[in-house]
Amino acid sequence: MFGKLTWSAIPFDQPIPLITSMIVIVAVLGVLAWVYWKGHLPYLWNEWITSTDHKRIGVMYIVLALLMLVRGFADAIMMRAQQALAVGQSQGYLPPEHYNQIFSAHGTIMIFFMAMPFVIGLMNFVVPLQLGVRDVAFPTMNNVSFWLTASGALLVNLSLFIGEFAQTGWLAFPPLSEKAFSPGVGVDYYLVALQISGVGTLLTGVNFVTTILKIRAPGMSYLRMPVFCWTSLASNLLIIAAFPVLTATLALLMLDRYLGFHFFTNDGGGNSMLYMNLIWIWGHPEVYILILPAFGIFSEVVSTFSGKPLFGYRSMVFATLAICILSFMVWLHHFFTMGAGADVNSIFGIASMLIAIPTGVKIFNWLFTMYGGRVRFTVPMYYTLGFMFTFAMGGLTGVLLAIPPIDFLVHNSLFLVAHFHHVIIGGVVFGVMAGYTYWFPKAFGFTLDERIGKAIFWCWFIGFHLAFMPLYVLGLFGATRRMQHIADPTWQPWLDVALVGALFIMLALVLTFVQLAYSIKTRDRRRDVTGDPWDGRTLEWLTLSPPPHYNFAVLPDVHGEEAYWTRKQTAIREDQLIEEPNYQPIEMPLNTPTGVICAFFASVCGFAVIWHIWWLAILGLVGACAIFVWYAWRDEHEHIIPVKEVRANARERRRIRMEHLHELSQST
Amino acid sequence: MTDHEPDALNVAPGAPHDSLYSETISYVIGLGLALLLTAISFWVASTGLLWGPGIAVGLVVLAIAQMGIHLVFFLHITSGPDNTNNVLALAFGVLIVLLVMIGTIWIMAHLAANMGPPPAITNLQMQH
Amino acid sequence: MTAGTEAPTVGLTHGASEDTGLGNRGPQSKSIVVPYGFWLFVLSDIVLFSALFATYASLVHATDGGPVTNQLFDRRLVAIETVALLLSSFTCGLAMIAAKRHHMTGTQAWLVVTGLLGLVFLSIELYEFTSMIAEGAGPQRSAFLSAFFTLVGCHGVHVTAGLLWIGTMMAQIWAKGFRQDIVRRLLCLSIFWHALDIIWVAIFTIVYLIGTLP
Repeated sequence: MFGKLTWSAIPFDQPIPLITSMIVIVAVLGVLAWVYWKGHLPYLWNEWITSTDHKRIGVMYIVLALLMLVRGFADAIMMRAQQALAVGQSQGYLPPEHYNQIFSAHGTIMIFFMAMPFVIGLMNFVVPLQLGVRDVAFPTMNNVSFWLTASGALLVNLSLFIGEFAQTGWLAFPPLSEKAFSPGVGVDYYLVALQISGVGTLLTGVNFVTTILKIRAPGMSYLRMPVFCWTSLASNLLIIAAFPVLTATLALLMLDRYLGFHFFTNDGGGNSMLYMNLIWIWGHPEVYILILPAFGIFSEVVSTFSGKPLFGYRSMVFATLAICILSFMVWLHHFFTMGAGADVNSIFGIASMLIAIPTGVKIFNWLFTMYGGRVRFTVPMYYTLGFMFTFAMGGLTGVLLAIPPIDFLVHNSLFLVAHFHHVIIGGVVFGVMAGYTYWFPKAFGFTLDERIGKAIFWCWFIGFHLAFMPLYVLGLFGATRRMQHIADPTWQPWLDVALVGALFIMLALVLTFVQLAYSIKTRDRRRDVTGDPWDGRTLEWLTLSPPPHYNFAVLPDVHGEEAYWTRKQTAIREDQLIEEPNYQPIEMPLNTPTGVICAFFASVCGFAVIWHIWWLAILGLVGACAIFVWYAWRDEHEHIIPVKEVRANARERRRIRMEHLHELSQST
Repeated sequence: MTDHEPDALNVAPGAPHDSLYSETISYVIGLGLALLLTAISFWVASTGLLWGPGIAVGLVVLAIAQMGIHLVFFLHITSGPDNTNNVLALAFGVLIVLLVMIGTIWIMAHLAANMGPPPAITNLQMQH
Repeated sequence: MTAGTEAPTVGLTHGASEDTGLGNRGPQSKSIVVPYGFWLFVLSDIVLFSALFATYASLVHATDGGPVTNQLFDRRLVAIETVALLLSSFTCGLAMIAAKRHHMTGTQAWLVVTGLLGLVFLSIELYEFTSMIAEGAGPQRSAFLSAFFTLVGCHGVHVTAGLLWIGTMMAQIWAKGFRQDIVRRLLCLSIFWHALDIIWVAIFTIVYLIGTLP
């Protein structure tokens, strides 16, 4: 009746998961109870949970990402502490089977449920605004994508409380991840969670490529799009290209585990090397899916805070597309040591080195943008400068690793761990923090506190370097990754420094939440009245903050690159706004519960599959599909925003902008 | 987003867009050609008249031709300016498919070649 | 009809913008956008199949001493399956032609025929699978057989989903008529169905024909 699920699934004998789960359950129930008793549920349901508004969905993705950042970081600090403690004679406080789950959960959560949602959330919020349109191509599907991602996150976190997580690392290599060597539910939690959220991500890819190619403001040709939209296009093309391979590969592993197939088993003719090949065909584009939008964010930030158009727009576009295509041709560098031989290794090694070139082009373009500009050192600019320094070095260690003979020495050592954290933190994390700070006022109508923001940056910058530079050294000393115990006591000082770095990062995270709370509390001091707090250059700054549901009263007509900047300068020069347009009623898509209900059934199905509760799995699957048929049966797809409302909002915006204009012209 | 007259520079993939006769004829021709190529494929695979090693290549060529017929006559993917986005998407997809398949086959072949001799006990089973 | 997202009489009209090429005259209509998005999804599905093909190609000789292709595959059955699926693609096209002209009986009739032909295809495939399993050549026998059953089976699952979709569309057309969004969905269904036939061309060529060459 309940498959493999018994009371022994709950970790009564393991204090850390047990206590953590208790705290989390109490917190979640507490929040839910507070929401319900305060009567916020209808608001949450109507304005957020069922919303098809890309801005709301974007914020929800980022909320998920921030929560998962805490969870993923908790795993990280536990790992750092264990490695600092378990040196020589000491065994630390985490037995190997727990340590293994922790590093596996850390990687899985940080990549799939922190970095991806953060990046996708920012793209969600910003891209339609920058394109000068009202929403993405498929708003309901957007909602579904978010909830499926959340469903995956839920399942991974559930494994802490019921059962266990995978002990196989974030990519679950066979044969270790096969039934014979991982008979528990851990790997199943991993597989099911990623399959569900993978569907959500793939749909996002389809959504955004369609949006960017087919839905732009009049006059916005491809070469007039902001660079962030170009990088979002490249990233989403990679999602469409790569995620099906992940789905297929994980499905093959599931077939091995559930039905006794022989794709990657040691017997029956299986080939575990095939898994490596397939998973990295996905895995390499995945990291470019993460970094390309970050590059786009930096492009926007650099040009805004240097007060200059981005240098070399066309070469940026070309470099972005080159990175997009090349990222599909380097995957073997993740397994140089698996034995494909020198011919194969050299080709992929050369390709891996080549891909550094377009990235270099970008870095020069950003530097040349700053040169001759009047640079304002705001928090996003701090992250940008920090990124240029950090990512460039991390990228260089990547070029080192791209050379097979060198890779043979440091493959799967702490050197490798340091490299990918170098580029992910220096690139992706700094990028999303910059984007979060930069676009926060657009979403909420007030800026974040600047001083705390700078403190957060410095904690990240110092913390990252302290935490990971020692790992490069240890890697060269021969330290393997994922070790629960360190045999060589001379490594102790390095590990201690790394722990201190992790503590700095912890401070950064704490301050992030402090900054948020404090900024909300004192928001009246930093209101974004005009909607353009940074003197921006792209169309999202045309709207008030936050924008109305439909973004623009009338889709802006685009006449050149930097659509908003030219329009703004013209307005300042002529001391008047453009002629008031002819307002029309606006059709916007309806809200829908399809996403959250589908995700609910998907979670039920997923949980049931993990625990072999077959009747429940079928019920869940049928429910998840039935909700779509139900959705397809509705007759009303859109509601109309009356012209009165559109006109009133637009005139309010014009009034505020006129005031701002007069202030500007009086001060010059 | 509303529906108005079809945009002259954009056509949905697969959308029929002509008179009843010409649309139907497109499908009939497509069916006929595809049936023909299928028949030829089956014949090529079983005949002794062709040079052995060339048969596999020939079958692949025939398969590609059949896919092309489906794309043109059933999915109406053409090379006109109204179809550019559809063709670009298809080209991107084909590139990925080729990279995945050829890359995997190439890599796995090299890996297999570099595997040592299998243990003696399974050697008997490998010979078939 | 409300003007929605486009207000053609805005002071600065589309005509004033330089027409710099494709796709910059404002957001495209749904009848363009929806099928394009679906086309992207179909392409992603084809990438999924390419991963399965790559797996099959890598494992085709990993028979673990068990049955090999020549012992298992019956080309006559494959020929019937192929013709059935091809004809179903044709009839699907005819259904689309009827749907564009809002012919209820024509659309429903051709959709039924498409579904029946799909059912013929699936029955033959199911027969093939069950007889292989019965003679000990199931997917758990060897890596080659795992790959075969997964590749061909995945295609079969897609066909099954397509049949369910056909049934749903038939019900929806009957209940609500040829509303624009319903016709768009039908167009997506036909794209899907044609794509399945394209994948089948690859399967029967590589797995059944090339795989059983002497």
